[in-house]
Amino acid sequence: MSPALLPFFRWADHTWIAMWIRDSTWAFALIEVFHLFGLTLLLGTLTVLNLRLFGWGLKGYPLKSVAADALPWTFLGMAVSITSGILLFLSEAMKCYGSLPFFVKMGLLAAALLFTFTFHRHLTKADAPSPALSKCAACVSVMLWFGVGLSGRAIAFF
Amino acid sequence: MSLYEICQALQDSAVGTSIRESIWTFPIIETVHVLGLAVSVGILVMLDLRLVGAGMRDIAASDIMHKLKRWYLAGFTAMFASGALLFWSEAEKCYRSPTFRIKMIFLALAGLNALFFEIKYVPTMKSWESSGVTPSGARLVGWVSLICWLGVVGFGRWTAYGMK
Repeated sequence: MSPALLPFFRWADHTWIAMWIRDSTWAFALIEVFHLFGLTLLLGTLTVLNLRLFGWGLKGYPLKSVAADALPWTFLGMAVSITSGILLFLSEAMKCYGSLPFFVKMGLLAAALLFTFTFHRHLTKADAPSPALSKCAACVSVMLWFGVGLSGRAIAFF
Repeated sequence: MSLYEICQALQDSAVGTSIRESIWTFPIIETVHVLGLAVSVGILVMLDLRLVGAGMRDIAASDIMHKLKRWYLAGFTAMFASGALLFWSEAEKCYRSPTFRIKMIFLALAGLNALFFEIKYVPTMKSWESSGVTPSGARLVGWVSLICWLGVVGFGRWTAYGMK
């Protein structure tokens, strides 16, 4: 990857948190477990909201109330997976620097976050968003977030 | 044939070996396992949170159960099928893994808990829902389910470490 980023990755790899996680027998595994808890909450609740946005699933409920019920848990899931993700990254920063799936994941994550907090959020707050637009937004959201999950899994394998 | 020998035979079988030694098959199956889990357990957690009264106040528990059924069943099918294939390829390692055993105990408890809910509370669900008060037993089912699935996911992830 871009050599301009190398000092940042090197710094991250040498932080005391990174060294503490690497030295500990259980820390990495435990943080990874929390990463998975957060991901489950995030993807599960967002899937329910996107199904409704697409016009499936909880059809009988207004989009707004599904969003109001589901999103706080989606955001909690996000907070847990991002916090644990930062810790995992620190402990393996130099491995991430050499990993193509890691950069793909970060790109998709940035796009997914931007989309969720702008266009997607705007639609799920609306009283009667255009069905065609809603269907597109639901598909994009599912693809972005599952893309984050897929490329994340790929970091460990490739 | 003891359970251990069965596990050994599974792991050594042609299918088990080819999954384990493949470049793509194992990662793909494991990815399906994790993403299937995220969808199915994620939706189930919403139902549990509703039952224990922690959230989802606008949506009836029976609607989460019934209207989303095909989606979480699809997720569970993907998770169980991929899980069976992963087990097939590493059965002997799983047999020796204490965390895998704990995971299976949590999974069995989660299943029994769901069965209990189905028999005891689902038939009368409409009436207790319209009264607005979730029976304390059904709330307990929600808590047990949350704890069991945290256990399944946590010890499942941990199993992968123990087997390196």
